[in-house]
Amino acid sequence: MIEVKNLCFSYTNKPPFILYNVNLNINKGDYISILGDNGSGKSTFIKLILKLLAPTSGEIIYNSAKIGYVPQRFENLNTQFPITVFEILECYRKTLKLKDKDCIAKYLEFVKMSSFKNALIGTLSGGQCQKIFIARALMGDPDLLILDEPSSGVDYQSQNEIYALIKNVNRNKNITVISVEHNLKAAIENSTLIYHICEGHGHLCKPEDYIKEFIAANEGDNGYA
Amino acid sequence: MLDFMLYGILISLLISILCPLIGIFLVLRRYSMIGDTLAHSSLAGVAIGLMFNQNPIIAAFLVTSIFGVAIEFLRSFYKKYAELILVIVLSFSVGIAITIISSGNAHADVESFLFGSILTVTREDFYTVLALIIISLVTIFTFYNQLVFITFDEEGAKIAGIKLKLINYIFAILVAATISVCIRIVGVLVLSSMIALPVATALQLNKGFKLTLIFSMIFSFIDIMLGIIIAYYINAAIGGVIAIISVITLVLVIIFKKIFDNLSSIKKVDIYADK
Repeated sequence: MIEVKNLCFSYTNKPPFILYNVNLNINKGDYISILGDNGSGKSTFIKLILKLLAPTSGEIIYNSAKIGYVPQRFENLNTQFPITVFEILECYRKTLKLKDKDCIAKYLEFVKMSSFKNALIGTLSGGQCQKIFIARALMGDPDLLILDEPSSGVDYQSQNEIYALIKNVNRNKNITVISVEHNLKAAIENSTLIYHICEGHGHLCKPEDYIKEFIAANEGDNGYA
Repeated sequence: MLDFMLYGILISLLISILCPLIGIFLVLRRYSMIGDTLAHSSLAGVAIGLMFNQNPIIAAFLVTSIFGVAIEFLRSFYKKYAELILVIVLSFSVGIAITIISSGNAHADVESFLFGSILTVTREDFYTVLALIIISLVTIFTFYNQLVFITFDEEGAKIAGIKLKLINYIFAILVAATISVCIRIVGVLVLSSMIALPVATALQLNKGFKLTLIFSMIFSFIDIMLGIIIAYYINAAIGGVIAIISVITLVLVIIFKKIFDNLSSIKKVDIYADK
């Protein structure tokens, strides 16, 4: 679906590189959690896939990927912005020129947020906000859903609901998911693959292998949960 | 004179729709001060127009558009210091205006453009302003959804395929058109108040985007109409009176909102106590 080939990136277009010689094949139906320390290049990698940044060298080949994006809530959201949930979704629908007017109600229902249709976005909790952005991302019928730290600033109960939703669209609608994660437990429990970025290099493995490697690296200390 | 008043009032009515329509995007994107900077650019345009005996409003529109586009272009060079670009453009504009006016090359009364005057609105002004307003309104409504999307979530808009740079340049020209339209009535010095204050007042009501926009237009209409009437009776420049009225409206709305909020919280406590 998406092929990342020998990708190098630096904001100054010269060494040192944030990402160096990264190769990754993303296949239809994958749920990949991207893990790594702060500043390791996780979000940069996502921005490259979203075409918000251009690679310094290497390439990203897209084979018909219609992308839906869920931003990191507290990074971008102005909670005093005067806009209702319906207006956010309606504006997205019209921008994408989606003819089905009922799709707003359909996806609000899907994320169980129908009763918040007329609420101001600033009055919603972190978890409710994320659900709205997931509904927005799904409205264009994407085949790839990209999320940037979906559980950031979200309470435990809502985290479970959000990951259940993501897992549902991945397993039942066969939508490929790439999620930048700081939540190791959620990444292990929900994703089919883990992509760990460290010192500019990426390493792909299955969640169960990642646990073994993690435990080995931390000399038996499995306090990740 | 009544003819002039009629033209002035008709333009004012249209301005009360146009200013908040542009202002809501400027305020929410935290670009309010662009209005002030481009208002000064329009003064340079007026001075250039008068120097060459050309229509000052058209000259203001052209010069303000160039500076508006220049601000947008320079933004990529000073990403984290956006206000610095405004200082640069403002200094250059005021420099041009002062040089032309003080050297006596502007062959007409510049004062009416500084302070605003309804009595100096000519038939030609009326049709020029009317054309600019109609073009601006059509353009805004064409790009309305994209503008709302960019204002709320610039990154998301880019990912959804909106041509951000193109829309930003079109918007810069729209701001320029709005300012050129307003200078005759409101005047350069308080023009930014017409763009920002009705929106600031409507924001106090905590409504969605469309309702905030509609309330901004209502406040803008009240401010302008009261401004025209009071300015007429006290024989003062319209721009100044409108600015004062706009601030008074804002303060009144803040006070009423505070009272209303307090009353509703008391009510809630009573209901809770009854239970």
